[in-house]
Amino acid sequence: MNCLQFENALSDYLEGAGSSEQQAHLSSCSACSSLLADLNLISAEASSLRESDGPAPHVWTALEAQLRREGLIREASRPLLPDFLLRWKTAWLVPVAAALLIAVGIKLYQAPRIGDNQPLAKNVVPRVPVAPVVSVDDKDILTTVASRPPAQVAAYRNDLDQANAFIRDAQESLKNDPNDIYSQQLLINAYEQKQMLYRLAVDQSDEQ
Amino acid sequence: MTDAKRPRGNKLSEPEAIERAKQGDAEAFEFLYNLHKRRVYSLCLRMTGNTASAEDLTQEAFLQLFRKIGTFRGESAFSTWLHRMAVNVVLMQLRKKNLPVVPIDETTEGEEEGTIRKELGAPDERLAGSIDRLQLQRAVDELPPGYRTIFVLHDVEGYEHNEIATMVGCSIGNSKSQLHKARIKLRDLLRVNRAEKAGKR
Repeated sequence: MNCLQFENALSDYLEGAGSSEQQAHLSSCSACSSLLADLNLISAEASSLRESDGPAPHVWTALEAQLRREGLIREASRPLLPDFLLRWKTAWLVPVAAALLIAVGIKLYQAPRIGDNQPLAKNVVPRVPVAPVVSVDDKDILTTVASRPPAQVAAYRNDLDQANAFIRDAQESLKNDPNDIYSQQLLINAYEQKQMLYRLAVDQSDEQ
Repeated sequence: MTDAKRPRGNKLSEPEAIERAKQGDAEAFEFLYNLHKRRVYSLCLRMTGNTASAEDLTQEAFLQLFRKIGTFRGESAFSTWLHRMAVNVVLMQLRKKNLPVVPIDETTEGEEEGTIRKELGAPDERLAGSIDRLQLQRAVDELPPGYRTIFVLHDVEGYEHNEIATMVGCSIGNSKSQLHKARIKLRDLLRVNRAEKAGKR
């Protein structure tokens, strides 16, 4: 067997179907032996290229945008209550919520009149008071919970911040449109949530 | 980023991410993308030799994956399913550009024989037991498109010749033949590269 014959059959040899003649030629020919070694090396090293590179960040950005355009990413429905409230056990909140709703309802019913002797116009919705129903300083409440484990204090502070953010958002909406019933309801909900947090802080402190 | 809730502190697993992606969970999509992006991108880059094309094809492959994820039933591994999709995306792109997916033997055979015959008379110059990965990458990028496809699918990605033949539309014998020629060509490119570097010193 000469080198050209060996080369022509090399593909089969590399697939494991080599002949004894090829083997004999290899043992006596340094050029073909070198060629075989190099081809095996290239094949062996090739797998190192398999995950050698990653795409630039903009690829994901563009992909995500396209997924949203096609509606493949679906928005989760907004919960009626924010996350932080869902974490608290709600059983004991029922009577507290009922009492608060009654108090807020009374406040709403006692809406300010336009002028001394003029009743409200029929199509004017009573305005919700901007000031909180119960004005307790956040700092006092944070002082009350300060003695608890740091993780609890942090969670409480976070929940309070969220409640305040809800209140601010609702107030901002009402500034733009005081007759916006949805924003009014949101503000009521936000104050109720904050009241519940105060209750929790006070009640749990009493238990300790 | 996510639009769906999940318990805090729990890491996502691939099966969970697949199920949640079927529901349209953005975080699940991103998880699956990050898990497989390197493999898909490397495949696209090796087969096109071009960064911009590889990025476009990576995006297209994942887009097709996420469009069809609802049909994934787990009969094969998810990575296998994705990989096949990526290969098909690349091959379609190469065909669109009229680039040869597999070279026609008749046009290249004479050329290769001449190269080999010349080499047989050359002094023994091995690649000396190791290959620099970057040099190999560059050499693969320099391969003609048809050789590059077969080499990447077989030696880099690990497909068998019967699978390659089905994917690219050639015979098993053709796939083996082209792989062999691709490796020979790579050897030439690597040796030339080394000789050039040695000459510069």
